[in-house]
Amino acid sequence: MNKHPSPLWTHLTSENRMTGTWRSALPNYQNQPSPCLGACPVHGHIAEWIKQVKDGDVYGAWVTLTENNPFPAIAGRICHHPCESACNRQHMDETVGICSLERFVGDTALAEGWQFSAPPTQETSVAVIGGGPAGLSAAYQLRRRGFRVALYETKDELGGLMRFGIPAYRLARSVLDGEINRITAMGVDLHLGVPAVDGAALETLQNSHDAVFLATGASLPKRLPALDYANPWVVDSADFLAAPVSEQTDRTGARVIVIGGGSAAMDVARSARRLGRSVTVLALEPEGRLPAQRIEVEEAVEEGVNFVHGAMMKSAEALGSGVVLNCVRVDFEPGDAPGAFSVEPLDGSDFELMADTIIPAIGQDADLARWSGVLDAKGPVVATGRDWQTSKPGLYAGGDVASMNRFVTQAVGMGKEAATAIAAALTPGDARPPANGAAQVAYDRINIAYHDTHGRNRQRNTEIEARLATFDEVQQPLGPNEARSEAARCFSCGTCIYCDNCYFYCPDMAITKLENGYVVNSDYCKGCGLCVAECPTGSIHMREDTSS
Amino acid sequence: MNAPLFTEDLKLLNGNHAVAWGVCLAEPDVAPVYPITPQTPILEKLIDFESRGACQIELLTPESEHSAMAAAIAASATGARVFTATSSQGLLLMHELLHYASGARTPIVLFNVNRTPAAPWGFWPDQIDSLSQRDTGWVQLYSESPQESLDSVIQAFRIAEAVNLPVMVNHDAFYVSHSVEPVSIPDAGMVRDFLPRIPREIQLGDGTGRSLGAPIDQAAWNLTRREMDAAMKRVENVSEQAGSEWERLTGRPSAPLEFYRCEDAEIVYVTMGSMSGTVREVVDLLRESGVPAGLLKVRLFRPLPVQALRHALAGTSCAIVLDRNYSPGTGGVLHQELKAGLFGMENPPRVHGMLAGVGGVNVPVGSIAKLAADCRNAEQTAEPVWVE
Amino acid sequence: MEMTKYRDNGQFCSGHVACAGCAEALSMRVILNAVGEDTVGVVAPSCTAVILGGHPMSSAKIPVLHGTLESAAASASGVKRALKAQGRDDTTVLCLAGDGGTYDIGLQALSSAAERNEDILYVCFDNEGYMNTGGQKSSSTPHMATTGSTPLGKATHKKNLIEILAAHRIPYIATASPSHLSDLAAKVEKAKSIRGTKVIIVLIPCLPGWGVADNAAVKTARLAVEAGAFPLLEIEDGVHYSLTVAEKTRPIDAYLAEQKRYRRLSDEDRAALQSEVDDAWSRLLARAGKDLNA
Ligand SMILES: Cc1cc2nc3c(=O)[nH]c(=O)nc-3n(C[C@H](O)[C@H](O)[C@H](O)COP(=O)(O)OP(=O)(O)OC[C@H]3O[C@@H](n4cnc5c(N)ncnc54)[C@H](O)[C@@H]3O)c2cc1C
Ligand SMILES: Cc1ncc(C[n+]2csc(CCOP(=O)(O)OP(=O)(O)O)c2C)c(N)n1
Ligand code: SF4
Ligand code: SF4
Ligand code: SF4
Ligand SMILES: [Mg+2]
Repeated sequence: MNKHPSPLWTHLTSENRMTGTWRSALPNYQNQPSPCLGACPVHGHIAEWIKQVKDGDVYGAWVTLTENNPFPAIAGRICHHPCESACNRQHMDETVGICSLERFVGDTALAEGWQFSAPPTQETSVAVIGGGPAGLSAAYQLRRRGFRVALYETKDELGGLMRFGIPAYRLARSVLDGEINRITAMGVDLHLGVPAVDGAALETLQNSHDAVFLATGASLPKRLPALDYANPWVVDSADFLAAPVSEQTDRTGARVIVIGGGSAAMDVARSARRLGRSVTVLALEPEGRLPAQRIEVEEAVEEGVNFVHGAMMKSAEALGSGVVLNCVRVDFEPGDAPGAFSVEPLDGSDFELMADTIIPAIGQDADLARWSGVLDAKGPVVATGRDWQTSKPGLYAGGDVASMNRFVTQAVGMGKEAATAIAAALTPGDARPPANGAAQVAYDRINIAYHDTHGRNRQRNTEIEARLATFDEVQQPLGPNEARSEAARCFSCGTCIYCDNCYFYCPDMAITKLENGYVVNSDYCKGCGLCVAECPTGSIHMREDTSS
Repeated sequence: MNAPLFTEDLKLLNGNHAVAWGVCLAEPDVAPVYPITPQTPILEKLIDFESRGACQIELLTPESEHSAMAAAIAASATGARVFTATSSQGLLLMHELLHYASGARTPIVLFNVNRTPAAPWGFWPDQIDSLSQRDTGWVQLYSESPQESLDSVIQAFRIAEAVNLPVMVNHDAFYVSHSVEPVSIPDAGMVRDFLPRIPREIQLGDGTGRSLGAPIDQAAWNLTRREMDAAMKRVENVSEQAGSEWERLTGRPSAPLEFYRCEDAEIVYVTMGSMSGTVREVVDLLRESGVPAGLLKVRLFRPLPVQALRHALAGTSCAIVLDRNYSPGTGGVLHQELKAGLFGMENPPRVHGMLAGVGGVNVPVGSIAKLAADCRNAEQTAEPVWVE
Repeated sequence: MEMTKYRDNGQFCSGHVACAGCAEALSMRVILNAVGEDTVGVVAPSCTAVILGGHPMSSAKIPVLHGTLESAAASASGVKRALKAQGRDDTTVLCLAGDGGTYDIGLQALSSAAERNEDILYVCFDNEGYMNTGGQKSSSTPHMATTGSTPLGKATHKKNLIEILAAHRIPYIATASPSHLSDLAAKVEKAKSIRGTKVIIVLIPCLPGWGVADNAAVKTARLAVEAGAFPLLEIEDGVHYSLTVAEKTRPIDAYLAEQKRYRRLSDEDRAALQSEVDDAWSRLLARAGKDLNA
């Protein structure tokens, strides 16, 4: 194009003009954590694996998911899903059904028989005490890194409260077994049915292993002082839930009163309904304020559980073939700490309830006495510092024994974090990756023009009658099309989806597509920010740039 | 007059039809045209030719002369040979684009039929429409007769394409446009050879991707005018050559300046267009009565062949300029141009400016002849004189 | 909404002098690439001309004639005829002009070219004012918008050029928006494949002229489309109307709020503009509907 200059005819292209000098800010590509990731107790790469589901790569999604959580099918059923509460999509229509997608991925993996591959076992060995979600998560993470793992569990079966607490109608045992077996298949030295590990045994284990992870949960039921647990009509909730159905049937009369308003209380109440019992829940909290999740309460109501809110039992005594509960209405005041509260009985509001069986379900404590003198405690739990290390070097603790965040995925997350710390401590020169300090992607960074309004694809529950007849799972999974459609609702906050919008919207052709990403040409970028504004995922932001 | 190299058809044609014949022979690619009295017969004849397959021209009939000229420029910039025709109001409407055409160095040929501009409305021969465009960068030729119009329009393409400047050929309304005379139609092959297709150095769409007329800085704009100046300076020479070749081919002289009985003339009438015919009669009469008079007909008005004029008028004592136009506040445009052209000449003739025939009024032979006596020994005046 | 996709073969070059974030430059990128190499352009004085030019450089790979303000369509006709005479009838002639050069001073030439059904593709970058001269009103400036020559807000309505063009019965008329780039590319490609006069009017929220943030031109255009203030449509042969975006999905408020030129509107003013949009929309629906029944 460059012949001889003429004042009339152009002979150069504008590429000779460096408009980059106009700029005061330059776009910067940076994948940033999504709010769901921030809220997720295992910090799963949610945006990433959901995109894989959307793209039809369920195996890839499972691989991504199980980097942080070996229990997608379990978590997909019973996780309290704080990720969904944080999801950006709620500001547009409804949160993404992350949990239902997780279940879809987990179920697919079980159906397909996908297995974890583990590197050959090294000599370095770690003892894990407790086969609940915390212990299994740690065992899994350690095996992935090649460590030898010895797992000590008093029960004959693994799973902890996932097996002996959460009822089968919420978590099918085949699912539980499938996901646990996949971990043990990685090569874990299992010691089942061992005597409860105590302070002395701990020291022994510490001597025979390079590190120890303590994950014994919280197995001591809290007790109501007003109730004599020796009575045959008092059944502890933990025992009740841990028992097989036949035993549950034997131990309950026709009228069951469950004391407590949390998840365990709901599980007891709903299990008892499945035994054909008439069930009343007596809770301190007023209606709508129960600590159990709203959906659990709703489903309990659907299943015919009666609720007596804002009241407490003062005493109980046998009367004829049954029991009479002397109750009083209370003024309930929540405290500052999670779970803390105070109650004030209301004068003259006494009333009575009749029952055949009382099942108190008011929580469980960690058995700290077992470690007294060996481990420091912090309040109701074992004290831990950074990386979940206890007061004994080389001894780590996580899950319900070390935290009041009492959820399965919290336990999984703690197991993962402790395992990562143990691995780092046992691998010379392996510094822990620095914490990713990048800010989470806020809703206003998402250009919602590229996301169509579309309500959530909901999982359905089985009919109520059918539910009450068995302990089969209530919640039905999303089908593959629904799952794809649900995955497509995800904004992919902070995770580039290579949609090319930034490339296409630059008026200055200052973005070049690379094989796997994009680069901004600072010779021409004028710093307008259009690329950022039109990004549907919030994966680019403007950064001040005064270089030119 | 030399014997023609080619035998030509003789047809009875009016001036406008003669132009259409000439255009047809020049084979332009594109012709956007818009009707206006008294130009319309050119347009109609061209369309007639084209519709009968006598020539192949992309004829465009837009909504205005402005658009006609815009299309002409664009077509020319794209490498087409382009013709258009207009008159008076139409030419004036084109004004903006006349500058554009020359600035863009598009070798368009425009035929203008000189007509009075409104107000008030009139349709009469007067050259102020084209003369008031003298600063637009167009080469201007003036023709006296249908034959000359035909010859000039063909030569105009040759000149335009040699220097990449647009050329406007003019003839007077009715006196030339509608007067009928036998016109020799040149041989088509001969015209084709006379007007070879010269490939443009640059044109739109030539594959180089170069753009025309983009916004520019002062120095570069200035340079465009210097380049135009250089091109304008070549015009006299180019039209001289074109004229003499034409004369060789057809036997009809077609020089930038035409002299009639100017040898040893003491009094020389200087004029353009149809007035020349009347003046020729006057010169013959005066010569018969022993007055040494002559006629200098200016064919090439822009650029004015100044050196040739000075040369021709050396030894003449009295130049009488007959202007069929009036530039308010100064007078006759040719008068002004001639005075400026003779500026600084040694022993220049006295130059008498006569406003003769403004608005198309008839100027009788007697009135013109009388001017010789009036001016022969009179001092020149700066003011023009309105001829009765 | 579908993701953006269009071809970019480098027909529009970096280094042009459009404002940072200019939606006109963005649209130009799409158009020049969609129309392809075998094209000759004509541009009328406007921001477009400035963006394309700056001697001795050009930001377009295609050759462009920088013509005069009132004659874009005539110039394009001239180019087309010259190409035709040279046997290059397949070369596309692309005419680019602003709204001033289209709705106002160039309407006469455009109307004539349309009447002759000249084989040209005419793109009007409608930034609703004379922006190159510093932001005065044009006949495309909408009701109540302030400009340098309507400091109190324009008292009259935006000229309905689409209807005027439809009355010419040209084969193709479309509107497009920089918020819908794939659609813009598709419309250009479609227009290119049709012989005769094609006109595409692209809404260009002018950053300084409308008082829009540097990164918000696309957003503003999108709001205009969603509010039905600038409907995306196609009209074939002047009679077959079809709406590209068939629904009006939001009130006009967010669109107005994005722009400083509407800053002085009262609530009543906004309501009045809303009902104008509603009326225009139902008229448009009627046209599109009529076509369906035909
Ligand atoms: C009824 C009920 C329902 C629940 N529902 C949900 C729910 O829906 N969603 C949710 O997220 N969370 C739920 N939770 C909470 C959740 O189950 C626990 O927070 C989680 O299981 C804690 O995991 P963990 O591994 O720390 O302890 P556990 O699951 O309690 O596992 C501890 C394991 O250690 C073993 N063990 C204990 N002491 C010793 C010892 N000294 N030596 C060797 N082994 C020992 C135990 O046998 C057990 O297998 C529920 C809890 C209950 C009680
Ligand atoms: C005959 C004529 N009058 C006035 C101008 C000055 N002028 C140049 S660009 C322009 C504004 C054109 O507005 P528009 O077509 O809307 O294009 P924009 O600048 O908004 O891109 C004007 C009035 C001109 N170039 N030519
Ligand atoms: S939209 Fe997707 S990535 Fe964003 S918070 Fe929700 S689930 Fe996470
Ligand atoms: S759109 Fe282009 S010019 Fe604007 S900030 Fe992004 S890269 Fe730079
Ligand atoms: S616009 Fe698309 S390709 Fe660009 S950073 Fe955002 S998600 Fe990635
Ligand atoms: Mg404009």
